Amino acid sequence: MIRSNAQNLIRESMARFVDNEVVPKAHELDATGEFPRELFEELGRMGVFAIRYPKAKGGAGGNCVLFCTVCEELARGLMSLAATSAMQALMGTNFLFRYGSEELKEKFFHPAMRGEKVACFCLTEPEAGSDLGNASTQAVPTAGGFIINGMKTWVTNGPVADFYTVLCQTNPEKKFKGLNFFFVPADTPGLSRGKPFDLLGTRNTKICEIAFKDCFVPLDHLLGAEGQGMTNLLSILAEIRTMTAALAVGLQRAALNDSIRYARERAQFGKTIGEYQLIQAKIANMAVDLEASRLLTYKAARMVDDKLPCLAEASMAKYFATEAACRAADLSTRIFGAYAYSMEYSPQRYYRDTRFLLYGGGTHEILQTNIAKWAGL
Amino acid sequence: MTVWVEADLCNGCKRCLRGCPYGALEFSGEKASVLDRCTSCGACIELCRQGALKSDILPRTVPDFSDWKGIWVFAERRDGQLSHGTLELLGKARQLAEVLDQEVCALLVGHGVSHLAQTLIRYGARTVYLAEHEELAHYRTLPYTDVLEGMIEKYRPGVFLMSASHLGRDLAPRVSRRVGAGLTADCTELEVDPDEKILLQTRPAFGGNVMATIVSRYSRPQMATVRPGVMEAVERPENAGRVVTVPVWVSERSCAAKLLETVREKKDAVKLCEAKVIVAGGRGLGDAGGFRLLEELAEIVDGAVAGTRVAVEEGWIPADRQVGQTGQSVRPELYIACGISGAIQHRAGMLNSRYVLAINKDPRAPIFQVADWGIRGDLREVIPELVRQLKRGL
Amino acid sequence: MDIVVLIKQVPDSTEVKLDPKTGHLLREGIGSIMNPDDRHALEAAVRLKEAQGGKVVALSMGPAQAVDIVSEAIGMGADEGILLSDSAFAGADTWATSSTLGKAIEKIAKYDLVLCGRQAIDGDTAQIGPQVAEYLGLPQVTYACDIEAARDDGTIMVKKRGEGGYEMVQCPLPAVLTVIAEMNRTRYPAIGRLIDACAERAPVQIWNAADIGAKTGEVGLAGSLTHVIRTFAPKGGRRTEMLEGDTGTVVRTLLEKLQEKHLVLPGAQAGAVGQEGKKS
Repeated sequence: MIRSNAQNLIRESMARFVDNEVVPKAHELDATGEFPRELFEELGRMGVFAIRYPKAKGGAGGNCVLFCTVCEELARGLMSLAATSAMQALMGTNFLFRYGSEELKEKFFHPAMRGEKVACFCLTEPEAGSDLGNASTQAVPTAGGFIINGMKTWVTNGPVADFYTVLCQTNPEKKFKGLNFFFVPADTPGLSRGKPFDLLGTRNTKICEIAFKDCFVPLDHLLGAEGQGMTNLLSILAEIRTMTAALAVGLQRAALNDSIRYARERAQFGKTIGEYQLIQAKIANMAVDLEASRLLTYKAARMVDDKLPCLAEASMAKYFATEAACRAADLSTRIFGAYAYSMEYSPQRYYRDTRFLLYGGGTHEILQTNIAKWAGL
Repeated sequence: MTVWVEADLCNGCKRCLRGCPYGALEFSGEKASVLDRCTSCGACIELCRQGALKSDILPRTVPDFSDWKGIWVFAERRDGQLSHGTLELLGKARQLAEVLDQEVCALLVGHGVSHLAQTLIRYGARTVYLAEHEELAHYRTLPYTDVLEGMIEKYRPGVFLMSASHLGRDLAPRVSRRVGAGLTADCTELEVDPDEKILLQTRPAFGGNVMATIVSRYSRPQMATVRPGVMEAVERPENAGRVVTVPVWVSERSCAAKLLETVREKKDAVKLCEAKVIVAGGRGLGDAGGFRLLEELAEIVDGAVAGTRVAVEEGWIPADRQVGQTGQSVRPELYIACGISGAIQHRAGMLNSRYVLAINKDPRAPIFQVADWGIRGDLREVIPELVRQLKRGL
Repeated sequence: MDIVVLIKQVPDSTEVKLDPKTGHLLREGIGSIMNPDDRHALEAAVRLKEAQGGKVVALSMGPAQAVDIVSEAIGMGADEGILLSDSAFAGADTWATSSTLGKAIEKIAKYDLVLCGRQAIDGDTAQIGPQVAEYLGLPQVTYACDIEAARDDGTIMVKKRGEGGYEMVQCPLPAVLTVIAEMNRTRYPAIGRLIDACAERAPVQIWNAADIGAKTGEVGLAGSLTHVIRTFAPKGGRRTEMLEGDTGTVVRTLLEKLQEKHLVLPGAQAGAVGQEGKKS
């Protein structure tokens, strides 16, 4: 039977979207730092946010490979749009989808899939970044529900979100076993948002602090069986890291493509700079890094789809692809020469946006420590 | 149907490679091989002197068309007058007619249009077939198709040309399908093959990046639409001709589609990405007034006005009209760069233009390196002169 | 309203070059896309369906890989897709192509409207729409830039773009319309629909010559009336020619050069010559 290949088809479709709708606006969006509402809604209409959820339950019926393909293409256009979309498709809606009541899903999940509501995920606290066991935001049982108090920071989509999935401690003595996810709508009394952070990169990703002061949520807002928060988080950690690696692959492609184009156009001493070996060496290094990053990323994505344990593979992919993205952005600033130092050209944006990848999905210091351990140290 | 290579017979001369219109032959080592994209056209078979190319294509006989004679031109009207493209077709038709020793005929279809016949004759028609009916006053596909079908069946022309205008490209394919004739669209060259005496119809494909020569061997008339502006209209005051009135019958069924309204519009500014001609200005324009000149030129040539980053920053032109690395990339047929030095950042946006004309005072301006034609001079003199001559040319 | 949309797979660029030595098309590194005008036709069909109900069938002819644009059409909202694919169809000119498409449309049988793009960016012929219309014996409206919903009297109102204006045409159904880009802004395919279109049980059919009852000599190269005998690269290459002389001479020379390149400044051909022959 003659059929199209879904990954190729989706890649081409997203590439067209990115080339026509994102790339021409990326520079200006980055300069204004606005939440890319129009593009976000368009992605919702296209069903991009629903990609990793099953068809029967309101999803698009894709998988991690297809999800990564989409993330990669979006990141090639504008990293902050890709990051926001990934949040919406994975962390921001995953636990609502898995554990939310039908009523909650009707009211929040499905609109989020259509791009009508913005989702987000509150994990990090001022005193608990990588050290999540130290989370101090508390959810105390009360009649008919819970009272939440505490503070979350580095909340991606925080300033524009319509609902939050919040990691809370219900019993500090149990440490990890006391962690649980709660669903908190943005209009819950007691919830307040801080001022959006002024960011170095991914400037269209709006990030802020969220404070919870005596926020009441009903019982059904506890997402998942009590005490399973950390287990549930770990269940998507490999996917989060694989997705982050895909974002890094997308950024490498953008940096490489722009560098090649520039190296072909820019002439010095009577020939294009691409004819000089030192420029060729840089392009070659970027190309090899990209190829290696792709292999690691999509290997991990296939393992996620095959339901194989792959936290090590995903962590390696994320670590390698992100470091490679940093190198690619750096090399592109050298190929562009002084023009890279101008805010008018793209390398500066890639250079700044790579920083986001270093922290999102696990810092490299944590990843290296874990990888060394998995390697047998 | 397939074509294959008898490897033992192939001597690796590669004649076939050059003769394949589809690029479907390949040499791996010394021997030819046939690729998937082969359409079994058989062009290679005739070329192979070794007889190494074989096929199971059935030989197709060319019917006898000796009684299909005459070069026909469809007379297109616009605003009650003949379109310039029609006169150009007559010019070309006369050349073809001389080679073939045949007559040029024009088909004039409409209502109250007989006065145009003399113009057709003055531009080369020997016979004007006049078909008039009130249902033909305004062009509609089906009634016109009916009329042309009747004329073609009755008079059996060898060649039938129409302008590749909106109308021609609506009517010609319809007629060709009706009368069972092959049709080639948007030709830019027409010649007669000296041996076969058939029409060699050459046209651009892939946006002009490839030219293809096409023949219509198995049907008559040989129909083609011809790109307006390519052929030359030649006035022949000495030419004498006759007008033959053709009886017209228009069926009710053919008039089922009703033309309710025709609206003439003043055109909006042409989009940069769609513009066939772009007139762009840079620092050399000096001020916003310089752009008035460009606008005047653009209006005449139906083009769009664009500018460099400098022109945008100076506020001479809106930002959505910027061409270059940080603006838009454009690919018009003709890019007229006025007072633009041609920094790489600007060139990146216009390099894919089909033709580039550069006007600049500075002979060392890099823009001249990427131009097809360069004019070293003051654009404030050159452009008004260009506008003047273009207006006169009309 | 049931609508058949004709779509074609074309190279993703008109930047096709010929090998200067062999004259062959160099196709390396060029992807394939749905022809842009056809995409607008499909969008128009899906919008009509959304407004009035009915079914949209995307119909294409091409090699097996052209299934990708059929899948994409389903992604954009077509209900079914059909790819006419058979080596017997290869090498077809517009005559044979319109016969092939016409036979397939006759087999589909149930339709009120056939839509297609005005022209394809690889061939630029704009002939398929009118030739299919004639094959089916249906009225045609070319250069359609707006369509109103079908009326109760079995007609449809179409806005037809002309040179320097437009016409409003009331056309009886069924009919064939060729669509230009001005018609609409096309949507991007829905991810979920794209995934469905790739599934084993996707609503995509592949028809060969036998399926549409095409006989040898009716389709493909053997059924064509015109034949390409030569392809070649247009002359040119960018070698700058500086035009010298006083302003009047320079401009005159320039206009001659433009004429040589068949580069007509659009406004310059719009002039009409009438009885008096004006100056030409």
